[in-house]
Amino acid sequence: MRDVFIEIWESIRRNKLRTCLTGFAVSWGIFMLIVLLGAGNGLMNAFMTGSEDIATNTMQVGGGWTSKPYDGLKEGRPISLDDRDVALTGGELFSAHVDQVISTVSTSVTVNYGKKYFSGTLEGNFPARRQMDKIEVRYGRFLNEKDIRDQRKVVVLSETQAENLLGGTTARTGARMGRRSLGAPKETTIDVRPLLGQYVRIGSFSYRVVGITKADRMSDSNLIYAPFTTVKTIYGKGQEIDDITFTFHGLDSEQANEAFEEQYRATVNLRHRAAPDDRRAIWIWNRFMQNLQMNKGRNILSTALWIIGLFTLLGGIVGVSNIMLITVKERTHEFGIRKAIGAGPWDIMKLILAESVSITAFFGYVGMLLGMLTCLLLDKTLGQSSMSVMDEQISMLVNPTVGLDVAVGATVVLIVAGTLAGLFPARKAAQVRPIEALRAE
Amino acid sequence: MLIELKDVNKTYNNGQPLHVLKGIDLSIDRGEFVSIMGASGSGKSTLLNILGILDNYDTGEYYIDGRLIKGLTEKQAADYRNRMIGFIFQSFNLIGFKTAVENVELPLFYQGVSRHKRHELAMQYLDKLGLTDWAHHYPNEMSGGQKQRVAIARALITNPKIILADEPTGALDSKTSEEVMQLLSRLNREEGVTIIVVTHESGVANCTDKIVHIKDGIIGQIEDNREHHASVFGTSTIMK
Repeated sequence: MRDVFIEIWESIRRNKLRTCLTGFAVSWGIFMLIVLLGAGNGLMNAFMTGSEDIATNTMQVGGGWTSKPYDGLKEGRPISLDDRDVALTGGELFSAHVDQVISTVSTSVTVNYGKKYFSGTLEGNFPARRQMDKIEVRYGRFLNEKDIRDQRKVVVLSETQAENLLGGTTARTGARMGRRSLGAPKETTIDVRPLLGQYVRIGSFSYRVVGITKADRMSDSNLIYAPFTTVKTIYGKGQEIDDITFTFHGLDSEQANEAFEEQYRATVNLRHRAAPDDRRAIWIWNRFMQNLQMNKGRNILSTALWIIGLFTLLGGIVGVSNIMLITVKERTHEFGIRKAIGAGPWDIMKLILAESVSITAFFGYVGMLLGMLTCLLLDKTLGQSSMSVMDEQISMLVNPTVGLDVAVGATVVLIVAGTLAGLFPARKAAQVRPIEALRAE
Repeated sequence: MLIELKDVNKTYNNGQPLHVLKGIDLSIDRGEFVSIMGASGSGKSTLLNILGILDNYDTGEYYIDGRLIKGLTEKQAADYRNRMIGFIFQSFNLIGFKTAVENVELPLFYQGVSRHKRHELAMQYLDKLGLTDWAHHYPNEMSGGQKQRVAIARALITNPKIILADEPTGALDSKTSEEVMQLLSRLNREEGVTIIVVTHESGVANCTDKIVHIKDGIIGQIEDNREHHASVFGTSTIMK
């Protein structure tokens, strides 16, 4: 093997410029492939940042409007969920898959603190919500069981809301449209901790602030969390609830999920005298399915990028093939001599193939390295910035880098490509007749 | 007999069929020093190609050391060339980007001999031909005579059954030509190497012990030349 490499080195050394120019095309191809995949990953990661925060094995169910007449009732009838739907969901019927069921009730309120106020949605919730939505509590605590049991008047605010109550500005009025800011997202400058343990007024009652959650800049919902029982009692919601959220297990495939959803929908619909197959009577948001679909989208994107990258690389490969053909032509006499003194066809073929693979692999790795450096650079610059649209912070690229799997994949591609590039010239070289040696130069 | 050709025919089919060898019968014994002489177009090059297993023939039989050389695969042919035949070419045919010793080593490389061993052997042969000092020089740094001696070392290193020399003096001046012919003659005498020289120069042919004349694809006269008096230009010099 060492001899083969010495031969390759000698051959390349004689044609430095030519080899480098050809190699550049290969480097460029791989460079593009890596950068494309890195940027694609970044784009996908940016899309996914919102959903990453949510446990994927939850479904949320809410009331809708019937779209089909059924059981003597006309379509267009509103359906509202109630406590018995919660009981049904958590009951015997679905116990094979459903684990934990919680429900919410909500109402629009204005929160006052001294002279400051803001409006938002007061959501009666359960401690389990924290797990399901992966809510990050910055200071204090989230709702607990005792809050629920005793119907305590406590609230958990978000950092932004707390800032509003403590700071100079009043309620965020929404649309500052299209103002883009490339740069780090605004960080909290006001210490919101003094608000913990303080009382805020909502409606005609005072609530103690027990926790402050991390500001969710990706979402525009202005939620205030309070115990489910408290909200339900104070706002007289009776048995009605807004939505049901439950965690589930054992539904691993798309089919299993669809089957479950169908069965669930039929059961709940029938309870509300709606057609079992009415898809509008209640809505189901299956985060598992959403995740599945996003993954599918991600795969499609990365496949498309691979194809574009590979086609770019193809240009480089053709270049290598071309240069190898010229090499073979130039070395015809030499190959004739080698054959005359005992080289078999495979000996000659090996020489050309190894040279082709070496050139492709070497320049490919240079390109890969540069591509990865560029990805890192993208990460350090564009990856750290975000733009503000409709008061939401949107990152364009999040972690736009490629993993080890891509590096391994690209290596395989390079070796295969090098072999393919060398195959035709190598066959030509192997076919050189030993009589060529007798031809005077 | 080391080499035996029986009714060997060869026709080239490039457009108009050209019958180049018209039934060649030839026997060469071990240890002989033979020249094949003919003008250009006489078929001597074709005969050389067939003798060297560089080309195949249409009909007839060709034996080297009792082994029939016919219908070989490329790999087999390469292997036979490597082990049985040593080539000396008119234009030396050394590989330009390899040093003298690397050139001499090359046939052993294709035999799969280890690096160390083939280097050692190559140095021995270069030493035998008085080229030790030139072992690490590239061909373009050497004179024609030196290059041809490197080529001879390369031909000898596999200890082949036959040395085939194609116009070995064709690119050399008369003095060097004489030296090379004397070297071949000495190798034949002292080491018992079978040598076949293909030439169109009578002076070169005169150095050999047997001259086979070929004309229009047929073997003509086979001249016993042990007295070395065949040259029309005199007995002691090689005329260019």
